[in-house]
This record gives sequence, C-alpha cells and structure tokens, in this order.
Amino acid sequence: MKLAKYLKPYWLFTLLTPLSMVGEVLVDLSQPRLMAKIVDEGVVGGNMELIIHTGIMMMLLICFGGMCGVGSAAFSGMASQGFARDLRNDTFKRVMGLSFEQTDKFTTGSLVTRLTNDITQVQQFVDFALRMLVRDSILFVGGIIMMLSLDINFGLVLVCALPVEMVLIMILIKKATPIYSIVQKKLDKVNSVVQENVAGARVVKAFVREEHESERFDKANVDLMQTNLKVQKIMSILNPLLMIVMNLSVIAIILIGGFQVEAGEMKVGQIMAALTYINQILMGIMMISMMFQSISRAHASGKRICEVLYIEPVIKSGSYVSGNSKGGAVSFKNVSFKYPGTNGEPVIKNLTVDIKPGENFAVLGATGSGKSSLINLIPRFYDADEGEVLVDGVNVKEYDLDCLRKKIGMVLQKSELFSGTVYDNIAWGDKYASKTDIEKAAKIAQADEFVSLMPAGYDGYIAEKGASLSGGQKQRLSIARSILKKPEILIFDDSTSALDLGTESRLQSALDENLKDITVIKIAQRIASVMNCDRIAVLEHGSLCALGTHEELLKTSEVYRDIYNSQMKNGGEGDL
Amino acid sequence: MAEQQKRPTPPVNNSPRPLGKGPRGPVLVHEKPKDVLGTLKRILSYMGKNRYIFFILLAVMLAITILNLIAPSLQQKAIDTIGLTSGVDYKNLVKYLIILGGVYILTSLITYFQGWFSAKLSQTTVKIMRTDLFRKIVTLPIRYIDTHNHGDLMSRMTNDVENISNCISQSIGSLFSGVLTIIGSLIIMLYYSPVLTLISISTIILTVLFTSIMTKFMRKYFTRQQILLGKLDGHIEEMVVGYKTVVSYSKEKDAIDEFNKMSDSLRKTGVKAQICGGSMGPLMNIVSNIGFVLIAGFGGYFALKGFITIGTIQAFILYSKQFSRPINEIANQYAQIQTAVAGGERIFTVMDEISEKDDKENNCDFIPDEVSGNISFKNINFSYVPDKPVLKGFNIEIKSGQKIAIVGATGSGKTTVVNLLTRFYDIDSGEIEIDGINIKDISKDKLRETIGIVLQDTVLFSDTIRANIAYAKPQAKLSEIESAAKTANADRFINRLPDGYDTVLSESGSNLSQGQRQLLAIARAVLADPKILILDEATSSVDTRTEMHIQSAMVALMKNRTSLIIAHRLSTIIDADKIIVINDGRVVEQGNHEELLEKKGCYYNLYQNQFAGIAT
Repeated sequence: MKLAKYLKPYWLFTLLTPLSMVGEVLVDLSQPRLMAKIVDEGVVGGNMELIIHTGIMMMLLICFGGMCGVGSAAFSGMASQGFARDLRNDTFKRVMGLSFEQTDKFTTGSLVTRLTNDITQVQQFVDFALRMLVRDSILFVGGIIMMLSLDINFGLVLVCALPVEMVLIMILIKKATPIYSIVQKKLDKVNSVVQENVAGARVVKAFVREEHESERFDKANVDLMQTNLKVQKIMSILNPLLMIVMNLSVIAIILIGGFQVEAGEMKVGQIMAALTYINQILMGIMMISMMFQSISRAHASGKRICEVLYIEPVIKSGSYVSGNSKGGAVSFKNVSFKYPGTNGEPVIKNLTVDIKPGENFAVLGATGSGKSSLINLIPRFYDADEGEVLVDGVNVKEYDLDCLRKKIGMVLQKSELFSGTVYDNIAWGDKYASKTDIEKAAKIAQADEFVSLMPAGYDGYIAEKGASLSGGQKQRLSIARSILKKPEILIFDDSTSALDLGTESRLQSALDENLKDITVIKIAQRIASVMNCDRIAVLEHGSLCALGTHEELLKTSEVYRDIYNSQMKNGGEGDL
Repeated sequence: MAEQQKRPTPPVNNSPRPLGKGPRGPVLVHEKPKDVLGTLKRILSYMGKNRYIFFILLAVMLAITILNLIAPSLQQKAIDTIGLTSGVDYKNLVKYLIILGGVYILTSLITYFQGWFSAKLSQTTVKIMRTDLFRKIVTLPIRYIDTHNHGDLMSRMTNDVENISNCISQSIGSLFSGVLTIIGSLIIMLYYSPVLTLISISTIILTVLFTSIMTKFMRKYFTRQQILLGKLDGHIEEMVVGYKTVVSYSKEKDAIDEFNKMSDSLRKTGVKAQICGGSMGPLMNIVSNIGFVLIAGFGGYFALKGFITIGTIQAFILYSKQFSRPINEIANQYAQIQTAVAGGERIFTVMDEISEKDDKENNCDFIPDEVSGNISFKNINFSYVPDKPVLKGFNIEIKSGQKIAIVGATGSGKTTVVNLLTRFYDIDSGEIEIDGINIKDISKDKLRETIGIVLQDTVLFSDTIRANIAYAKPQAKLSEIESAAKTANADRFINRLPDGYDTVLSESGSNLSQGQRQLLAIARAVLADPKILILDEATSSVDTRTEMHIQSAMVALMKNRTSLIIAHRLSTIIDADKIIVINDGRVVEQGNHEELLEKKGCYYNLYQNQFAGIAT
C-alpha cells in the first residue's frame, strides 16, 4: 500500500513493536513448558526446591514478557498514532488545496468521513498488524513447533483439526458477509422512513396518514429484524462448531498422550502443555481469519484516503506577483465556461466585457443566466474554458493565487460564518486588524447597529454557522469581513438580497463615502438594488445582452424593460 | 478489550456475531445514565414481552454453565487415569473420554441454541421498541418536532436501539453465565481444597482491583479521544462547507495549522489510550500467573505431604482460570451495559412525551366533505415561547370560497396562522371556528382532512410518483391521479420520466428539480380536493418560467374552495379577494390590492420599500 511511507519517520517504533512482541510471545510459549516442568518434576517428583526455583524463574520470565507486552503496546501506539497524524495532516492539507469542482465531487460528508473514520480505520489496522498479526502468527507457528517437539504424534491431531477449522470459518464468513451488507441496506431503509417522517411531520399530519406511515415503518422494521436474524443464525453456528473441533482435539490429545505415557515416551504434565498449545493454535487461526476481514476493511478505507491524497488540484497557482499599485480593472475576453463534468450548453458563452478601476458595476439576469458563474472566474474558483479573464491587464492564470485573491473581496450568496466571536468573524478579513478597524468595517457594512444591540456586543459568540442570526444580519457580517480586507475589487454575489432597501441604500452610500477608489461588482435580482450603478450588464443564457446605465437600458434593452416591468407591474421577482 | 480474547482460553464466548466487529474497536465511550434502575426495569419489561424466549435462554445458559464446570473435572479424571503409578488405566480413560466427548458435544449444541435464542430475544425486543418509538414519533406534536434536533431523534432510533440490542445479545448472557460460573467454580474449588481456594481468591481480588483501575484510565483516555475526534470532525466540516470563504480569504494555511494542532493532540491522547488498552492484557497475564505459581507451589507442597492428588492441582488450575475469566468479562460488559441503559433512557424520554390528543369526545356533526369553508379567527393570542407573544388579539373573518393572501415581514406571524388552523399548535386563548364550529371540538383527523396544505419545502416520500400524488387518497384510481397531475401541470414531465407514474423517487425526491417537486405537491393537493387550501410560500424557490406553469396550476387549484395564501410573489397577492397585512402579531390592514395601496398605510410602505426609487 502506498500509505506505508507514512510509517517511515517512525521506523524505530515500527521495528521495536514486533520485536518486543516476539519477546512477549516467546514467554507465553515457554509458559506451558515451565508449568509442565513444575507439575511433572516438581509436584509429581516431590521436588519442592525445583518448584520454587522454577516458579521464581517463571515469574521473572513472565514479568519480562509483560514488560515486552506493555512496550509493544506503547511502541505501536507511537508508531500508529504518529502515522495517523501525519496522514491526516497531509490529507487535510490536500483538501485545502482542492479546487471547487473537486470538493463538489467529493461532498463534505464524504471528506469528513475520509479524514476521520477512514484514517482511524487504517490507524487501527496498522496497530493491529504490527502487534496482532505478529503475535498470532508466532503463536500459531510457535504453538505448532512446540507441540510437535513435545511429541510428533500430536501432529496427527493438527493435520485433522486445522483444515476443518479453516474451512468452517471460510464458509461461514463467505455466507455471512453478503447478508451483513443487506442488513446495512435494510437499516438504511428504516432510517429513511424515520427521517421522512420527522422532516415531513407536517405533511403526514396534514393528510392524516399516521396509520399508513406506521405500516410502512413496520414493514421496514420486520424486514430488518428478519435479515438480522438470518445472519445471526449463521453466525451462531460458528462458535459451537469451533468448540467441537477444539474439544475433539483435546480428547484426541489426551488419548494419544495416554498411549505415549504408557510407552514411557511422555509425562503427564506434557499432556497438559499440549492441551494449552492446541488451544493457542486453533485460536490463532480464528484470529488470523478475522484479520482478513480487517484487512479488507482497512484496504477499502486506504483506497478512499488515497483518492483524496493523490488527487492533483485542477487549479494551479501562477507566479505573477503584482506591486502595491492600486488597480481594480477586470476584463473578460471572449470567455466561455461550462461546469466541469456537465454536458450540454456552456453556462457562459463568448462573453466580452471590461470593468474599469473604481467603477460601480452591476450584473443582472434571471436565475441560471450565468451571473454567479461569471464572477467565480475572477478569483479563479473555476477556470474559463476559452478566452481570458484579466485583472489589471494580467491573465488570472498567471497570478500567484494568494496575491490574486488578496486583491478581491468576495461576499458570497450564502453567508458563511464560523464558530467564534463577532470580532473573530470580521477579523477573518485581516487578522492583524485593530478593534477600531473592525468596528469601523462593521459600521460601513451597517452591521454595527445590530451587533451593538447584542448582549455581548462584538464579543458575542456566534453559534454554529450563525444559526442565531437572521439572513440579513449574516450578510452584513460577511460584508464587514470583506470590507476589512481592503480589497481592490469588491464583489457582491447576490449578497444584499436579505437587506431591505433602506439598509441597502445606506450601505451603498457608506461604501461610496469610505471606499471610493475600489471597483465594486454587484450581482442582483432586484432592479432596485442595481439601478444606481455606473453601468449594468444584463445577462441572458450566458451571453451579454445589454450594457449601459439604467436610463439607457430602459430605452434600448427589451429584456431589461421586461425585468423592470415584471418587478414593478406584476411583481414577478419581487418579495414583499 | 480484545486483549483478553486472544488469551488461550476456550472459546466460550457469547457474542453471536464475533466477526462483525473489529477486534480492537474501543467501545468504551459511554454516557452515564441518570435513573439506572428504572430504565433497566423498562428494558427488562420489553424483554418480558418475549417471556418464553427469555426463560428458555436463562435455562440454556444455566445448562452451559453447569456443563462448563463439569468438563474440567472430567478432564482431570481422565488425566488422573494416565498419571497412575501402576500404568495407564485404559478402561477408565476411554470411559472418561467418551463421557467428556458427550459433554462437549452437548455443550456445543446448547451453545448453538443459546446464540440463536439470544439473537432472537434481542432482535424481537428491539423490534418492538422500534415500533413503539416510531408510533410515538408519528403522534408527537409538531411543537416537539420543531424544537428538537432531528438528527438526535434519528440517532435514538438507530444508535441507541442498536446499543440495547448489543447489550441484550451479549452482555446479559455473559453477565448471567459469568456470575453462575464464579459461584460454581468457587463451590467446586472449595470442595477440592479450601486452602488453595483462599490463595486463588487473593489473586482474584488483585485482578478485580487491577481491572477497575485500568478501565478507569482507559475510559478517561478513550472518552477524551472521542471528544477530540468530534472536535476535529467539526473543524473539517466547517472548513469544507465554508471552503469558498476560506479560499477567498486565503485562509487555507490557518485552517491547516489549526487542524494540525488538533490532529497532534489527538495523536497524544491516542497514544496514551492505546498504551492503557494494550497494557491491560500483559498486566493481567502477570497477575494471573502469580496465581498459578502460588497454586503450583502450595499445591506441590500439599501433594508432597499427601493432602491432594496431582489431578486435583490440575483441576484447580483450570478452575481458577474459569474463575478469573468471567470477572474480566463482567468488567468489560459494565461499560456496554451503561451505554445501553443511557440509550434506553434517551429512548424512553421520547416515549414519555405527551402525544397529540383530542381533548374530549368530539362533535360528530362535523363531516369534512360537507364543510363550506367559513373560517374565523377570534381574538387569538399565541406564543411559541412563553412571554414572547407571536399573535396578539388576532382577528380574521374568511368567507367560503374566498381567496385570502396573508402578507407581512419575516417573523410577523404569517406561518403561525397556518400552524394554528391545522392545530399543529394550540392557541393560548381565543377561538378559531370553521363553519361556526370551534376547531377544538373537531377531531384532529377530521379537521386535517378538511384542509390541504402545500408547503415551501415540498415533502415527498421515497415511493413511486403515483403513490406520492395519491398520498392523501390511497384508493384513488389511476385516471384520477393522472387528471390531478394534469391540473397541476405535472403530467408533462412525469410522462417524460423513464417509468412514468411508476418512477420511484430517491430519498426525499432529490432526483427531481425543485419546481417539479412543487408541481407534485400541488397535484397531491388537487387530488385530495380539500375544502380549505393553504399555500405556504409554495412557489418561493422557483424560477420565473416554472412559476408561470405553477401559476396556472394554482388558479385551477384554488377554484371553488377557501384558499389561504402565505404570499411571496406579488402576482399571487394582487388577484386575492382579500389581502391581510400582519405586523407584530396583529392584523393591521385588510382589503384588496387597490384599496390597500390607496390607504397609503403599511401595505403601501412594504410595496414602496421594495420598489422605492424606481419611479423617480
């Protein structure tokens, strides 16, 4: 597996683990022999001195073995946990470098499980392999050797018992494994019925369908129970069968032992030792067969991790670093774009437009006309398929990504806040910003008015993703965050939709007053939000269909007039 | 904990599915239940519903325990026949071995039954629990559903029930046979030699002490590990969900640094947890071997003196092993039982919630099909949270067949009106009447059969399209379903689907677009043919073209019935017979569009605020 290289920094621990394991196992293996000696020579022979002597030696050995055991646990912990940490860190680093099309593809839930469950799974496997695989193999092989060295005739028992046990385990695992995955499916079914009923409780109640839903649930529930019972029925055969094999071996050993003692080849204590060994050997087989399951699980997890770890980010940073000069020009030249992995019509078709530094520019259009896609190309969230996107005359693909994104302040459609205080969240824009800077940014963003009303003010903690705030409040906080960043280009991606017109116009004049020189690109659905902009671009089906001021567009553009009329006369897009 | 399993002990373990789980999965994280006894009693009473299986299981376990105690003494007797100074006594050896074989086979057979019965017991028990829990969930008031985390509710149905199932199938068995084994071994050991028994008890006490100390440490670290893992989880989720923002602010490096910090503390705790877990086995081994040496030493001494035979020492060693193993097992099960009880407690809390009920014997005169649809809200006061009234002295009068639009800012109480009319929530004071009958006097089922609702978030079920449309009227004919779909403008896209009306929707209908889902919900309402129709922002997240389609469907739908529209789009409001403007829990204005604009009041302001400046 490709992941083995992550063990390299911990090679010493990786090596010490099996070594100390060998120590522990050897002691374990010698234990029955010493016991046999105590019984045969000490107790039977009536040699008290030998009992005490061997007893003390045995204790010392066992203490040594115990130390080895603790040692191997510690070494393996250091190796496997270190391995997991490095792997986790690298994988997360990779995730943070992914492009959006890639994170979209993986989905959040899957990335989280890969970084936690899957890595834990692999870590446990490493620990397991370093210790248990070594231990069980040695116990297994050692047990066989020790047993045969007691008496070669015991080999007969092994030859009979081992294959039988192996075949039994194999058959049962093979039979049970597919049913386990069916159990999982049935469980999902039960879950989805519950989920639908919890989420859709209003509809179920409104249509008075509780009875029907209960029947639906019962069906899934009984189905689950029956499948569960089916698999458990198979698995409950396993234990008794293994017991029979093991116990028959015990009887065979006593019998063979009897013959050998009669023939003077063996002593009673050695039979006892042999009984312990056969136990060890047969348990070893069971453990090793379980290991196969664990290997296949870890393998699946490893594969899922590698999928993330070895993916190349689609968008690579360029090297151009611009100077300190204030810029802010954005131009699109014959740009076409289509979301990766989608077929059919491109979202943006051969679009050309120049936005001047310091301009107040608006983009208007129906849902799906390509507004958001267009501005996503500026900070290189996605790359254009054809044509060029230029910022201050330089193709965005040539920019160093950090440098490019530093120029751009982006207020997203969906305001994303993070757990932390209001201060923390605004300070995302500039972590060195002083409190006064932060408060000033909040004032410009019209956020100060509600933040100062919060009980803890700017130190108020924002619970997960700002659930306690209204949509408009969240938008204002993310606007403050962008303002604090002091960008050259400030982009509003439909991010004033939850503000009422009064607040929006106050925001606009505060922006005009405080951030005169920067370029503002505003995407909106409401005509009222954009009509005062320097220029308005109207998009339709991914193409630029009109460009000009509000007055010009009213005269020249039919589409713009339609939108205007729909909002004014019929209220098509308007919210009350 | 698997550390013990690999010790060379006979595989008498009660787990019915030993291969289903990772051999090293630390399942030690547990919650502490509050009322252990009460909860246990209730879980037991659920098991009691399968009384026969339960008692058979106990009998079977008793048998296994006895057989397990007999086996070593037979083994010892067989070996004794070999160890005789007069040579091997074959006759007796064979005799003992045959008996031993019989006992072993019997044990295996009974073990099989034990596995099977405990699976059956646990599965049927949790099945009944699940059924009860679901019945409860369906009848829970909306207030409960609205105020509780759905994921949490789901996890009670799955994780908590699963914990109980594991506990029944594994813990109860080992607990029972463990206790029996300890008592049995103790008696037999005492019978063989009281002095040696004393010695081995002293090592047992040592074992118990050790186990309890070690598990305490382990629990501490494993819990901490779980907490750290949860935090890490949260961090990843936040960063990935907000990835666009992270990238826009070039915060990747900070996110990585933070992650690495968490990752490293997880590693440190992980190492400690693992050392604790891994040391358990070797240390226990040392303790149990001290016991062995002591027994061998003293035993040898006694044998020398002629107090006991060699076979007795052998048997004693075996028994003392039998004795210490269940103690380990019980210690292991303790955590699992605690988890199960905590889970049971969480399940029972839901079951103890008060269901939606009708307050009294209900007026039987109310027949949903004959309702004409006059609705009046009289002086309603209502609050979701005490002291925060949502509706205050709220009054509306709606006449049969009218089309009413309710308008107001977010949080003004629009949706509350719907919640009250359907009795999802009950009013604090005042009266709501349909055709002059107080809705409190109507059974909830009949009331809701009168009312059809189409919600903003369309609820669809993972079933066929046909079944989804026919949700309110399962006995509907295909022709009725199709004509409802036509009315709702949905038949066009349905016919384009590969399986038409038999297309199975994936979970919550995610294989349809938002607009298509909304059309299905409207078709459902058409088929239900309710006397009163409520549209709660039913077309909010649909683009303009689809909206046109829905619009005509809506007009068809609202014909001949009383309709209440929680308005979003101006176009729907403008046609309404009456627009009701709500502000701060009160009706502030009512009338049609023109009247309200003329009034230059609240409605006018809302309207102007939306389009302010355009005129100038």
